[in-house]
Amino acid sequence: MENKIKSIVAKLQSPDLSFADVRITFTDFENIAFINGNLRNYSSSKGSPALGIRVLMDGCYGFAGSKDLSDASIERLILRAKNNAIQGSKFLKERVTFPAITPSIAEYQHQPEINPFEMPKEEKLNYLHDLALAIKPHGKIVHSYVMAEFERQEKYYANTEGSYSHTCVYNTLPLMSVVAADSGQTQSRSWPGHMSAGRAGFELFYKQKFMENTERILKEAQDLLSAPVITEEKADIIIGGGHLALQLHESVGHATEADRIFGQEISYAGKTFVKPSMLGIFKYGSDILNIYSDSTDPRGLGYHPIDDEGVPGRRVDIIKDGILRDQQTSRHIAHKLGLEPSSNMKASFADDFPLVRMTNLCIAPGKGSLADLIKNTEHGYYLDFTKTWSIDDNRNNFQFTTEIGYKIQRGEITGIVKEPTYFGITPQFWNACDAICGEEEWAYHSTFHCGKGEPGQIMRLSHGVAPARFKNINVSVKM
Amino acid sequence: MHKNLLYLKAELDKHPELKYEIIQQNWQTDFLRFYQSQTNYNISKDNCSLSCALYKGKKLYSFELDGPNPDKIDAAFSEALSLIDSLPEDPDFRDLENELSLAPPRKLANNIDELDLSRKTKILSDFAQKAAEYDFELYGTFICNYSQYRLVNSNGMDKSSTNSPIYLEIKAVHNKNQVTVLETFGGEDFGYFDQDAFREHLVAKLVHAQNPVVDVEPGDYEVILAPRCLAEFCQYLSSGMSAWSLDQHSSYFEDKLNQKIFPSCVSITDDPGDPEMIGKDYGSNGHIYKKLDLIDKGVFKAFMCDSYFHHKLGLPKNGNTGDCIKIAPGEHKLEDMISSVTKGLYISSLHYMNFINPRETSLTGLTRDGTFLIVDGKIKAVVNNLRFTERIARILENVVALENKAYTIPFSDNYDSFSISTTKAPHAKISGFNISSSTKTI
Repeated sequence: MENKIKSIVAKLQSPDLSFADVRITFTDFENIAFINGNLRNYSSSKGSPALGIRVLMDGCYGFAGSKDLSDASIERLILRAKNNAIQGSKFLKERVTFPAITPSIAEYQHQPEINPFEMPKEEKLNYLHDLALAIKPHGKIVHSYVMAEFERQEKYYANTEGSYSHTCVYNTLPLMSVVAADSGQTQSRSWPGHMSAGRAGFELFYKQKFMENTERILKEAQDLLSAPVITEEKADIIIGGGHLALQLHESVGHATEADRIFGQEISYAGKTFVKPSMLGIFKYGSDILNIYSDSTDPRGLGYHPIDDEGVPGRRVDIIKDGILRDQQTSRHIAHKLGLEPSSNMKASFADDFPLVRMTNLCIAPGKGSLADLIKNTEHGYYLDFTKTWSIDDNRNNFQFTTEIGYKIQRGEITGIVKEPTYFGITPQFWNACDAICGEEEWAYHSTFHCGKGEPGQIMRLSHGVAPARFKNINVSVKM
Repeated sequence: MHKNLLYLKAELDKHPELKYEIIQQNWQTDFLRFYQSQTNYNISKDNCSLSCALYKGKKLYSFELDGPNPDKIDAAFSEALSLIDSLPEDPDFRDLENELSLAPPRKLANNIDELDLSRKTKILSDFAQKAAEYDFELYGTFICNYSQYRLVNSNGMDKSSTNSPIYLEIKAVHNKNQVTVLETFGGEDFGYFDQDAFREHLVAKLVHAQNPVVDVEPGDYEVILAPRCLAEFCQYLSSGMSAWSLDQHSSYFEDKLNQKIFPSCVSITDDPGDPEMIGKDYGSNGHIYKKLDLIDKGVFKAFMCDSYFHHKLGLPKNGNTGDCIKIAPGEHKLEDMISSVTKGLYISSLHYMNFINPRETSLTGLTRDGTFLIVDGKIKAVVNNLRFTERIARILENVVALENKAYTIPFSDNYDSFSISTTKAPHAKISGFNISSSTKTI
């Protein structure tokens, strides 16, 4: 395949092309789902091929992608990509330009501890079936779900500057959830929550202690049916890692994707309140807030040796000591902003057009354990396990609901609340952060499902976070 | 193009102990994305896929192949045979779909060929020039898809269908204050596209967008929902009209069959036969797609139900999937609806909605692409984007008036292959719509 991709790039080496790159991916995917204890889906797709060719001609990008890797298809795609660029250049005011970079060569092979595609199928199915039976509907539990998604992606990348990479990674997305019902009301609990994926194989089920938490979600779902709601207008909240990852994702991650500044995502994903003039001066969060994009950490799903336009993986400070320092950029946009490209250009599959994407976007750890943070909280709520999320076009006004909240009084958890909902304005919220737990609580939380771009792409990415506390947050939503 | 499907079918037919459903899908898109009144990128994509669901008794295994060929099919089928006996059963499975009627043939052009890039950019240049007169620039997408689908199953089903949807979405954004307005076209017949009318509607919105920008306090408002908003609320509501949601106890409509739950002016159908919309020949598992009354004069009439849930829940089977939702128009002129508002809002479009509790239809979301303040029956100002936290059921309970005309609104499903559907809806006047906070931004 190395020869194939390099031969395609060789065909694209011509004076009328200022840049071109080619991706080839082969993806294995397996989905297993049990509903109410019964196997409802076991589907697989093996070695799914994809090829994408992107060319920059006359200052405009053209792209063509296909699942067909035959020689005839390659010739057709090259012509189509060039034609798309030429036609696009006829409706153009500003040409896409960026400086050349030193070519990189990279090879990376990830090995999971338990390869989900090679382990005995009985072992995999029996474990999931046992899990499904453990949370099967009974009493007030009316619905249950156990799901596993396994992915292996082999990827080749090459461009006309001479960069080349070959990588292979395994990702797993495990989840279980139950629904309890009583008197026309339903409440749900899931484990391990919204961002449960990982750069791992089947071992993720053991590491995330699924079996050990079946009783907990069964009990909490039923307890939520009779739990109170939050009655205060404002409260201090501690946000657990799984949900904080989503808060970070929505209100910092997407907000600092620089393609949004120039309106390249207005038609679907939206804009951002961030402006280029804010770099270096804007107080995005409190002094203890440090947020970085790190595509060099192989523990996260956002790891790559080089990104999808040839930029080597980088760690970039996005927010340092609360101040906005940098952006997630493409080469074109970094050039416009006078920044170094941040190595954030990614395409979900080879036949997708690369976009500015989060990789591993993390909050640097602070100090102390979660237990200590709760102990040091006079009155508030510990919230985790995302239920609903929503944020505006500019990534400024957000509102989240979690499945459960744990009430804290005088440093101790004294009960639960149902559907705790909080809302805020992004910079005010991050400036209200007064404590971040330490390294011992810090972990990656990952998703398979970050949607962006048109035609739509869903990206695998990670957020490294530790639980954090936010002071005086709006927790009263009138309906 | 069907040789792989026929090859797999022949292999499967050698195993009478198996039941199967095979779907072959060929899909292409030509996708123009633009920003700042210029090309962002042009994308062409195609895919050929073959998927197979295999039952042995009550045991299910399925596989999907992109770019299929006989070698890949042999490998996948061989793996399926080696695995299926070891799987646990699904006691709720009875049989595959056995509804075999064929949809009437439709004449359909491949709109990728009909609407080439040069024609698309000519149309966009025209609108860009007009918008520039008001200091607006254009952002959006102009897309044509072409897909062919064939489904065969072991009950003798063999059905084919073709679609070629068009989707034009133009957002005009003011160069200084970012005020945004939206105009769209969707369908399968570009003959319905009236360039002059489209430009005229866009300009009318640009004129409204010249008004000053203000903020409003949270609270209950009388609102005029643009057709896109009413359509989107009804799409979300229709998820609760599926047998699937009833089965997982998340349906608002549980125990409400044949009950009057909304005002008599509210009627919702799932209707694939409207020529202005994107058609659909077949629904779940190849069941023929026919008009289905969901809400008739405020009365809930039917769950959308496939073969699996028909057997499991005992509901009538229809195969509908809610891809062709139509909200019946009412009796009022839009001008009269707006002029009857003393102080309220006109909401053009919604953003990032998510259910809080689907069983209660409670959800939160935001306005975008033009929210306007109406004072004494006239649009007086542009309003910052607003957050609402509401129950869709309550919104429909509070319908005061529906416009006497319905519009075709395109929506895209961006989470998989880029599929496009249309919904038809009128403007709606709603009382007591709950604005829960302001975004303070446009």
